[in-house]
Amino acid sequence: MEYTFTLKFKLAESDSDRDAVVERLGAAGCTDALVGTGVSGLLALEFAREATSAQAALVSALQDVRAALPDALLVEAGPDLVGLTDAADLLGVSRQNMRKYLTSYPDAFPAPVHAGAGSIWHLASILQFLMQRGHDLTAPLVEVSEAAMQFNLAKEAPLMDRYGEQLRSLLGGHVA
Amino acid sequence: MTRSKHSKKEIEKVLRYAEALGWTIKARNGCGHAWGTLLCPDNSAECRCGEFCMTSIWSTPKNPDTHAQQLRRVVDHCSVRKMREAAAMLGPAPQDQE
Repeated sequence: MEYTFTLKFKLAESDSDRDAVVERLGAAGCTDALVGTGVSGLLALEFAREATSAQAALVSALQDVRAALPDALLVEAGPDLVGLTDAADLLGVSRQNMRKYLTSYPDAFPAPVHAGAGSIWHLASILQFLMQRGHDLTAPLVEVSEAAMQFNLAKEAPLMDRYGEQLRSLLGGHVA
Repeated sequence: MTRSKHSKKEIEKVLRYAEALGWTIKARNGCGHAWGTLLCPDNSAECRCGEFCMTSIWSTPKNPDTHAQQLRRVVDHCSVRKMREAAAMLGPAPQDQE
């Protein structure tokens, strides 16, 4: 199965030569990724990777990038954190359509990760919601959104201290 | 245009499409994994395509068809281009409200 996903990295200062960075990625087997270097200090890779599972695809991609650029820091895996427009684009529906779900099912629609002028959700939670409503979604997208979410959660986990551990029981099953 | 041609015809086709829309293609002339770079004509404050305003083109991608599609998507998803098209069709672009 081919999985499409994005990994974004913050580059180390020593990796400022963009041509050299791209060559190392090519040598490490990332020629199934589109490499974007339009923002200085950042690196975006849009992979279209063949693998037996989404998890295997993301893990092997991260391993390849690590081998090429040991000092690059993962910023975000995608598709995971999305606004309504992003979710609509990924599903090929209109933004109005997505918004209608939000307003028509205020109780069942998943809670956002960030609520504000531009609310953000885990894509996996929106896809779950839609599947519960009988939408037939493509398996790779569902799988890849779950794998990307795990990457982003794992990336943040080291920030959690003992106080955070205590909070977990207080928050209980309240997480969306 | 005097740049060299990409040896994969499906990629060369996308490069021409991008050029016709004002994108710049910088060929590295035959060294290494990267064949060259695709540069967005609109890398400006209101442009939000960000990282992919500068995108590498592989000389031997794992799958040339997929690589061509990925490049095509970058060109078609350029937000400034989309805004211009929307503006041309609808008048002033609407504010995005959550």
